[in-house]
Amino acid sequence: MNELTRRGFLKYSGALGAALATGGLSTIARADDVLKIGVVYVSPIAEIGWTKQHSLGVEAIKSEFGDKAKLTVIDNIFMPQDAERVFRELASAGNQLIFGTSFSHGTPMQKVAPRFPKIAFEHCSGIVHLANLGTFEAKYYEGTFVAGAAGGYMSKSGKIGFIGGFPIPDIVGPANALLLGAQSVNPNATCNAIFLNSWFDPGKEKEAAKTLLSQGCDVICSMTDTATGVQVAGEGGAWSIGYASDMSKFSSGKQLTSFVLDWTSDYVGAAKAVAAGTWKPEVRWDGLAAGVVKMAPYNDGIPADVKAKLKQLEADIGSGKVHPYAGELKDQDGNVKVAAGSVLSDDGIRGMNWFVKGMIGKLS
Amino acid sequence: MELFTAIFTGTIVAATPLIFAALGELVVEKSGVLNLGIEGMMLMGAALAFWAVTAGYSMPVAILAGALAGAAASLLFGVLALTFLTNQYAAGLALAIFGSGVSAFIGRGFGSDPIEALHGVNIAILSGLPVLGPLLFRFDPLVYLALAMFVAISWFLYRTKAGLILRTVGESPQTSHAIGYPVIRIRYMAVLFGGLMAGLAGAYLSVAYTPLWVENMTAGKGWIALALVVFATWRPLRVLLGAWLFGGMTILQLQGQALGLQVPSELLSALPYLATIVVLVLISRNRQMLALHFPASLAKPFRPAG
Repeated sequence: MNELTRRGFLKYSGALGAALATGGLSTIARADDVLKIGVVYVSPIAEIGWTKQHSLGVEAIKSEFGDKAKLTVIDNIFMPQDAERVFRELASAGNQLIFGTSFSHGTPMQKVAPRFPKIAFEHCSGIVHLANLGTFEAKYYEGTFVAGAAGGYMSKSGKIGFIGGFPIPDIVGPANALLLGAQSVNPNATCNAIFLNSWFDPGKEKEAAKTLLSQGCDVICSMTDTATGVQVAGEGGAWSIGYASDMSKFSSGKQLTSFVLDWTSDYVGAAKAVAAGTWKPEVRWDGLAAGVVKMAPYNDGIPADVKAKLKQLEADIGSGKVHPYAGELKDQDGNVKVAAGSVLSDDGIRGMNWFVKGMIGKLS
Repeated sequence: MELFTAIFTGTIVAATPLIFAALGELVVEKSGVLNLGIEGMMLMGAALAFWAVTAGYSMPVAILAGALAGAAASLLFGVLALTFLTNQYAAGLALAIFGSGVSAFIGRGFGSDPIEALHGVNIAILSGLPVLGPLLFRFDPLVYLALAMFVAISWFLYRTKAGLILRTVGESPQTSHAIGYPVIRIRYMAVLFGGLMAGLAGAYLSVAYTPLWVENMTAGKGWIALALVVFATWRPLRVLLGAWLFGGMTILQLQGQALGLQVPSELLSALPYLATIVVLVLISRNRQMLALHFPASLAKPFRPAG
């Protein structure tokens, strides 16, 4: 991984300018058979969490391509105004493939991409597609459904606790699926949801987890970027469900499972396509079947027959036999949102801004 | 009852880092210096204390290391603001940014292995009491230290000669200088004390409250502590009450969310801030009282003449 320097940028942008003047960007980009890739992380690489999982994708490209790929990684870029500058610089520096890894990178990428039509842009958790801007995203709800089923089997109180960052569809949907998974084995299960209204606040997360414990929840799922929820649940003797990475080492041995995100196929796939000249902007939205969502090893405290059922559930969701949002689905007030026999549409899933019956909490 | 215990103890614990940081800043501001860098000093304290635990040092040593890291960071501010008479706002902001950057840099190598948190105390008879035990006597030692610091600082500021001198320096450094008090040295000591307390607050976060290290783990608590001092009109008791109020509202809004209160979570999340501001503004309506407690020379650089 090489560090970007200001001088380097100037050099590259100068070269690029000259090249543009003499015609054609693709000719120089291909000149030296080494694929140049730029990646922008939203936070520093920690041992666990969102950015860590992206860094595994980058590592996969490295081991796949060896010295045939030259990666430039810039981390801790959250604010859109910073991101726009960084994306422009990466594009000017001659990278042929550029990854953005956060929803907040969306607007900057949409601004920069049209100016560099020969460069492939890939945006994780993006919603807008352009001629040279593709997106990839995980079906978190498949993971939370299976995890919720595990919680449903193991919970004594039938009360699941959920902690999320903001009440947006990307978080509300998986929270619903968590409860639906639990209800698939215990129809009376309920879920208390707390939103921190912050992407990052370990102190508040701790208090939220303790709050859920004090209200009788004995399975805690925290869809935030730290292991605090898992940690507090373990200390309080409750089961926990991790997110993004396997968080079992924080859980005092109480992590039921974790829905792990594995972007390897997205990273390597895009890199290979660009190298082969076949890259097209795609909308990739994969889950258990493609292995983008994976369940971390189940806790040893789960009985073997339950483990087998959970594995079967994973397979059934992967094959499409079971759909987490299959009807009949009712909202909190009992109105039927999805009729029996049908499933929630993809747009309905991506825009889910309502709680299913049994969720405790209020969405604005 | 269990719910009440959870809310009560949660409040006390959540308020503890704020009490440390805000009381420290109170002493600094009483000496006429405004150090906006609490967030940075807390992060330094959090990082160093966490490092000390992972390096195998005992808990008291780790907490001391955190406090000293905060003090060391404050010394940097002291040199800039007191010796070189730079603008205190700018120097403080620089410290806040510097501290978060340096702590992130130090913290790169920490990994994220979990550490054993600071344990709650176990006082032979008291902790075992049926109702009062879990309510009052099972906190970790730093919670009690925060309360002891409150008593000590209140006593120091208003009941000792040294405290009177410190306040005098904050009111009129010229006068203090004229009657022979070493203004700069006194301010240095106040700034170092503030750093020590901010470091303690940070250490509390990383080894007791949320026993892990993550970049910027203070998540704005330093700024809240800063605001508390102002809203508390520079009075120790109000700092304490403000911190509890803020902590209590934080816990209550989470309980409210989990109970399914029919109020959007965004509004509930704003409650601690709203409530704290409203209450502290209400109790500070008396302008005369405000003027009485506001350090008249706050943030004004002082150069000993002659």
